[in-house]
Parts: sequence; C-alpha cells; structure tokens
Amino acid sequence: MSLEEIIKDTKAYYCLGCGVCTSSCPVARVIPSFSPRLLVEKALFGFGDEIISDKDLWSCLICGRCASRCPSGVDYLNFVREMRMEALSKGKEGLLAHDGILNTIMELQSLNLKQDRNFWITDDLEVADAGEYFYFVGCLPYFDLVFGEGGLCDVGIRSIERARNTVRILNKIGIKPVVSNNERCCGHDLLWNGDLEGFKRLAELNLKTIKESGAKKVICVCPEGYVTLKRDYPRFLGEQDIEVIQLCQILADELREGKLKFLENASVDYKKVTFHDPCSLGRIAEIYEEPREIISSIPGIELVEMERNRVDAVCCGTSGWVNCSGCSKKIQTERLKEAEETGADALITACPKCEIHLNCAKYNADLKIRIKDITDLVAESLA
Amino acid sequence: MESEEIKIGVYVCHCGINIGSTVDVEQVRDSVSELPNVSISRDFKYMCSDPGQALIRKDIEERGLNRVVVAACSPRMHEPTFRKTIQQAGLNPYCVEIANIREQCSWVHEDKADATDKAVKLVCSAVAKASLLEPLEEKEVEIAPRALVIGAGIAGIQASLDIADAGFQVYLVEREPSIGGHMAQLDKTFPTLDCSACIMTPKMVEVERHPNIELLTYSKVIEVGGYIGNFNVKVKKKPRYINMDRCTGCGLCAEACRLKGRITSEFDVGMGKRSASYIPFPYAVPSKYTIDAEHCLFLTKGKCGKSPACKDACTADAVEFEQKEEIVELDIGTIVVATGFDLFDATEKPEYGYGLYDNVLSGLEFERLVSSSGPTQGKIAIGGKDPKDVVFVQCVGSRDKSVGNEYCSRVCCMYTAKQAYLIHEKLPDARLTIFYIDIRAFGKGFEEFYDRVREEGVRYIRGNVSEIIKKGDRLLVMAEDTLLGEPIDVEADLVVLATGIVPRADVRELMNLLKISQSPDGFLLEAHPKLRPVDTASDGIYIAGCCQGPKDIPDTVAQAKGAASSAMTKMSQGKVKVEAIIASVDPFICRGCGRCVEACEYGAPELQEAEPGILVSEVNDSLCKGCGACAVACPCRAISMKHFKNEQIFSQIEAVI
Repeated sequence: MSLEEIIKDTKAYYCLGCGVCTSSCPVARVIPSFSPRLLVEKALFGFGDEIISDKDLWSCLICGRCASRCPSGVDYLNFVREMRMEALSKGKEGLLAHDGILNTIMELQSLNLKQDRNFWITDDLEVADAGEYFYFVGCLPYFDLVFGEGGLCDVGIRSIERARNTVRILNKIGIKPVVSNNERCCGHDLLWNGDLEGFKRLAELNLKTIKESGAKKVICVCPEGYVTLKRDYPRFLGEQDIEVIQLCQILADELREGKLKFLENASVDYKKVTFHDPCSLGRIAEIYEEPREIISSIPGIELVEMERNRVDAVCCGTSGWVNCSGCSKKIQTERLKEAEETGADALITACPKCEIHLNCAKYNADLKIRIKDITDLVAESLA
Repeated sequence: MESEEIKIGVYVCHCGINIGSTVDVEQVRDSVSELPNVSISRDFKYMCSDPGQALIRKDIEERGLNRVVVAACSPRMHEPTFRKTIQQAGLNPYCVEIANIREQCSWVHEDKADATDKAVKLVCSAVAKASLLEPLEEKEVEIAPRALVIGAGIAGIQASLDIADAGFQVYLVEREPSIGGHMAQLDKTFPTLDCSACIMTPKMVEVERHPNIELLTYSKVIEVGGYIGNFNVKVKKKPRYINMDRCTGCGLCAEACRLKGRITSEFDVGMGKRSASYIPFPYAVPSKYTIDAEHCLFLTKGKCGKSPACKDACTADAVEFEQKEEIVELDIGTIVVATGFDLFDATEKPEYGYGLYDNVLSGLEFERLVSSSGPTQGKIAIGGKDPKDVVFVQCVGSRDKSVGNEYCSRVCCMYTAKQAYLIHEKLPDARLTIFYIDIRAFGKGFEEFYDRVREEGVRYIRGNVSEIIKKGDRLLVMAEDTLLGEPIDVEADLVVLATGIVPRADVRELMNLLKISQSPDGFLLEAHPKLRPVDTASDGIYIAGCCQGPKDIPDTVAQAKGAASSAMTKMSQGKVKVEAIIASVDPFICRGCGRCVEACEYGAPELQEAEPGILVSEVNDSLCKGCGACAVACPCRAISMKHFKNEQIFSQIEAVI
C-alpha cells in the first residue's frame, strides 16, 4: 500500500493533533521518543520512509488504548499494521524476542507441516473428530516448550493443563468438542506484524480444518485467537458460515441459566482477586462483564477493581513476540503494582500471553501478587 | 385548454462559467430547437438576471408561448423565480419546467462532450414534460394571529417577547416549573462577565407581565395537527398541586416539607438539595411553588405524617392535592421551536473518572458551584478546602467521533476561559491549567477575553487529556503537551470538564410531533443552512437556539429574533398560499384500502364513506405536502400527484432513454 492509500484507509487525515493517543499510549509514557501522534503526523507530511525505518514502529503493542479514545476516529491499529507491511516488504522487522522461536513456529505452521499437536489429550477428556463445536486450542501446545518446565524461558507456565482444563469445563456443560491435529496458529501475530500473506495461508488452513469437521461453532479461549477468527478471518477471507465464541461468553450464559455450579467454598487459595482485561478481550472484543460475572460467582472470592479497568485497562506490555524490552518490563511492573494496591492476592487474566508476560515480569522482582488464569480457576472450582 | 396548441420556449443558462465551462450551451440550445412543440430556444449568460427574465416575458408576449423550459440550476434555487416571471407575462405559474443542468450535470462531470450530451437529454426530458404540464390553482388559507413558542429558555423568551410586542397573542409552553432554561443556571456570561441572572430576570418578568403572552409552565405540547395558519395544538398541564392564584411564593411549604434537603435539585444539577415542594431557584418565574409528585410522600404513599406538613404550613391555603392534569387546546397560526439542548453526559468518557471522583465536575456543575445563587453561595471548596490546582479539560463530548459528536459545541472554549477567570477572582493563588486542542475565540470580544485570561496567569497547554486517575486525595491529569511533544501530568484538586452541547434526549419525539427533521448531528434541521436558517421543511414552524445546533447566548438571541420575525411576517400577511402540487384521488378507481392513509406523514388522506359500505380516500388539500408517498402506496394508481402525474413522468423517462 502506498502512504497515500494507508492514510486514506485509516482516515489518518482526520488527526486533530490533540495528543490523546500519545498520552494514552503505555509505551510513549516510558519511551518519550515514541509517539503515535507523531507517527501519524509524519505520514501526513509524507515521511513514510522515516516511519518504516524507525525500530519503534515495532514497539506499538496494538493494545488499542489510543484508538479507543481518539476523538478523530483514526484507525491507528491498522495504520501500524499497514506500515509494518511496508516495512516488511523492505526487509525490515522488529526485534524478535526469544530468538524468534515463536515467530518461527508460526511461520512453519503456515507451510505443509506434519504436527503432533494433540499429544496432550488424556483418556479422561472427551473429544471428537467431528461435531457441532470446535475447540480452537491455539498456541497452548507450544507455549510450554518455551515458558514451561525446562523451557528456554521457564516462567512456570502450564499451558497444556489449560487446554485440558478447557475440555474438562466443556465436557461438564455437555459439550464434546472437536480438537484437530490439523489446527494451525490463528495468524494473529503474523497479521499484526505485517505478514498478511502468511496470515492468509494460516487462516485458509484453519478454515478448511474447521469446515471439514462439520463444526458450526468455534470456541476460543485465547482472546487474540477469538478476535482473529471472529473479526479478521471474515475481513480478509470473506464471510464465513461459522459462529465464533469466547469461552467466557458460554460460561456466563451457563451461569445465568444456573447450569454451571461451583463448589461451596471453592476458592481456598484466593480470597480477593482483581481482573486484568486482556486488550483483545476488552477493548477489541468489548467483553468486559462476562469474566467478572464468572469470577464473582465463585464462592469465597471477592473481586476488586484496579484503578485502570475495562476500556481503560493497560496492556501486559508486549505483543507479537517483538520489541520486548525494558519498556515492556516497566509497563508490566506498574500493572502488577496497580494490582497489588487493590489488596488482591491474585491477578486473574484471561489471556495466555498476558499470563506469560506478567509472570516474566515477576522473575527476580519484588512482586508478590500471584497470577491466575480464569479458565484454570473455573476448572478448579467446578462442582 | 386541451385544444390549445402547445408552444414551448426553451432557455439555456450559462450560469457564468458554472454551466458554460463544462456544457456546450450553444449545442444544447440547437439540439432541442427542433423538438416537437418547441417554438424557440435561446441561451443567455444568466437566465435569472433581470434581462434574462425579460427575454422570457418578451417571447411569451410576442410569440404566444404557453409553456417554458429553463435549463439552469436546481429548481430549489430558482423555480420560484421563473414561476413569477411567467406569471407576470400572464401564464399560470405552473407552466414552467426546470432542467437542472448545473448541480446534476456541469458540477458533477468533467468531460465536456459527455456533460453536453447529458444536458441535452435533461432538456429533452423537460420539454417532454412541459408539453403535458397543466395549470394549477394555489389555494389561500387564513393564518390565525396566534403563535405557539415551545421552550422558555432565552431563545423562547426572546421570540415570545418580540412576537407579543408586535401585537400577536403568544402561548409560551415550558415543561419545567419555571422559565429561564439553561441560561438561568449560569453564573456569569462570557466575554463581558455580565451576571446571567441580572440580564435575564428583566426579560423573565416581562414575559410574565406581558398582556399578549400566556405562560404555560410545567406543561408539555402533546399533539400538533393541522398546518400553517391553522395548527391544532394540545398542551398537557401537569398538576402543580399548588393554587397559582393563592400561592404567594413565601416558601413556608418548602420549609415544612418532611423531605426538605433530601431531594436532588435538578436546577443545581445534583449539586444541591431541595424539598418536595419547591421553587427551582430564587428568581423563578412564575414565583410559585410546585409539589413534585415523584417524591412527595403524600402523593406517592398517600400519607405524610398525620397530615401533609406543607398544607399545614401554608397560610394562603394554596396546597391542593386534588389537582388533576389538564389538557389545553389551542388554535395556532405559527410555531417557534426553542427546546434547547442537553449537556453531554461525561460518563460516556470513562477515562475522565466523571461520576467516579467527586472532584471531577461537568461545566454546568461548576456553574452552579461558582454561582452566588448556588448550593455553596459561590464558595469553591473541595472537601472543605480551597483547591490549589484546578485543571480544565476542553472538548469533552465535542469534536469527538468516539462518542459520535463530530461537531464543535462553540461555547466551551469561552466558558472555560470564563470559569478559569472566575476562580482566579475568588482564589487568586490557585494554579489554573487549561488543556485544549484549538482555542476557538471567534465571537465579538472573545479573542480579547482569551488574552485577558492569559494575562491573569492561566496556563494553556495544547494537547487534550487522555485520562484522569486518583493520586492520593488528588487527581492526576494525564496528557501530551503536543507543542513540546512530551507527556505531561498535572496534579489537581478539582477538574472541570468542558462538557459540550448535545441534542435533547427526546428530540425524536418532538420531530414526530411537529413533522420536522434533524441533521446528521442530531439537532433540528433548518430549511437551508445559509439562506433559511430559522425555517423548517414544515411551513409555519420555525426553530431558534440550541435545538438547531450549539450556539452562544448572542447567537441564540439573534436567531430567536429571526424566528420571531419569520413567524410575524406570516401572521401579518394574514393569509398564505398552500402547496398546489398535491395528491388527488380518482374516486372511481379508489378501492378504499387505506394504504394511503398509512403512508401519509401529515394525515392528509382520509377514508370517507361515499356510499353505504363503500370507502373512498379523500385528500385534505391544506394538509397535503405533495410528497407523493400516498401515490406510491396506492396499489391501483387511484392517486396521482398534480405536476408529477404518471404520464408526465413517463414522458420524461422516454425522452431520456
């Protein structure tokens, strides 16, 4: 896309230069040279080359805080995405975290590949090859390699157990989901890092797999996978005849209908918790209340709010496995301190990446608050 | 008429270069000269000019033309002009047809050959219709010399006074217990710092005393039927439970009320409290009390102690719990709508913490706080202490697509400057910061006032606020100083949001009542944004003040005077011609199905029993606006639109294809 087309597509010309984006941006608060406003203004002045050469183009978290507040309706997220596409086409990319292993895993999946991604399914789990519901497992089978026990960057993550817990919950509410060994990475990070073609290859493979299973409803747990399947697949590959649902939505419905029951005094470990809205679940998908309803319904748990919650929540500090830095650490540390200030003994999140990043920030740091995933919490509390 | 030979004159306008530079006007003129019934075709630089019109008149007289086609701009622009032109030459005004070769051709095309070709087709089409045009009669109706003014803020008050002074009867309807509107809530007004109450009360009192004004407060217009000159209006008067003749406004009832100090005062926008029996503010007009049926113990629970305390306290025997609502019917000539605005609800911007933090106030709340008639008698104290740092945030709910308001509210820049000035007067040591995107100081004396505020040391920072969070007892206001390109955080004891102006929440109800429309911003739509700014698409209904769009007090008063003047012009004429282009029903074809009745917005068609058991639709000529909705709805073509008959339209289509 030419710079003019990017400006037109994202309505960058509406920018009033009010600075609300830059002031809202968690990165700009740490790196003063990073400014969403100036990136847009540079584009309007025709300095496209300067933007794509700037390594800070990859520091944007795609968290959407700026865009949700922009009074001018500038589509800043797609502005960054399209600029990254330009940068990528000129051979530029962000600084890859974890030596690029996760990015490589994503790219490999977009090719003709034989996987063994269902190794985690144990005998107690009821899954199917075909059926109404498709559980989109996402990256979970891969995360433990890096962030789990013995991984390159062990921060105590047990993602595989998360996948098992999800199936346990689904079985409990009478769903025997399809779990496919042919599933691929959803493509979220390739898309937002500017690799549209790679994203499309992944999306096509996934849609083929889902359709072959006969499923009409896809259940996502990862919020990024959810918004990618729900919003981006139709956007880039046309309308699809599938309904995409986030687990919290199903659970909140079951709760309201009284079908989901928790143990009396279910939570022994956690008395007072706070909820961290993942960017994709909150600002992007606007699912704010369902996770709160679920947490509040668990006997023995009190939910308290951080100062910055819901649409004003702050990102977990890094995304797309690029440009993770001291800036990310600072954002994460502040977020965890904010959670500690509520007096909560755990921060609940609903995104595996938030869980990884926030746990990483605790490494060798004086932060006491525990981090717990909502799916695990529910699975452990079920009657 | 039918046997008369049709002789058409075609006049093609260059409109300077507006048409001439894109359309080959001479070619158009020549291409249509041989069409059936055309006896002359000419071109002219400006057809609408005096010599252009004279040319048409001369041809009518000398060549006996009986139909005229003018190829020029939109008929909305000059159709009335050319109707008059041919009328002066003795033709029926409806014997002219306009071909729009400007807006629909030269202005929207670039290729001259294609544009010329299209212009020829448009003119051919107009000639085809002109051959079938029929003379129409315009009926006249009387205009009742009585105006209805809806809303008694400063706009409604000014319009009422002007109309009443001109000798016409005015019914001024206000839904609140007192007139005054938003202006009565303001402390001082920019840029002159006149006390709002001081300049407003004389007008309010004048309204009350004016022999030609009947004031209907605590009332609502619930039905409007009829048409210009003869509107049938129903007004619902809510019971005040106080006898207006007996009440002396002494306030003993409010003092005695068991709920004293426990009900949120609407006038003080939640900053103060009142009793169930109340007067909204000390200089209210009428200066009479009202018992609020939503809260009053006696009215809600049927019991208030042993007997209602207000009734016991009143020495004038004015409390009347037996009052019932009353419907007043009025015959009205013209209507002025002056229903004002709502304040933007800042909870729509959760990042500002409005509603969450007590020391984040809306602009109007601050007005009440700083006002000497307000709940603190004008003392600005936050948690009992003088605020040391006050931050103002501009453009809250204005120029903000994220909340759906693209427009500028036009008053916030200046009211913020004024509010900063008022704090500086009262608390000279307070540090005052204003965050802004652009300062729009466009009115008379505004730029000078903006200078004056800066002279007093108020700090303006270019950049708008992204969020406000709590920091201990204080607030942290976060923004980017866009001139320095640096994030800036300012601590504050008090934040005032420059909340903007939004359309009334019930604007749709009003639109349905009056059959008027709204512009994309949600405010009421004027007939023309420049040349008919106080008229609406409905004849005899005029708009003034913030119901039409955000504006300050001087502009509101000016527009109110304009609307009053338009209403008075019609009433002075005493008669008005009604639309000649209306629907007519062929009673033989009509099956009486009633679809036309359902389709009509204006209640013009009505089913009548022509013979026992046989229903036929009849159109009330005065109510019909000629929109054609009924003709479209009619399944058997019993309805035709005068001037837009089926055969006329088909002839136009055939000429084009």
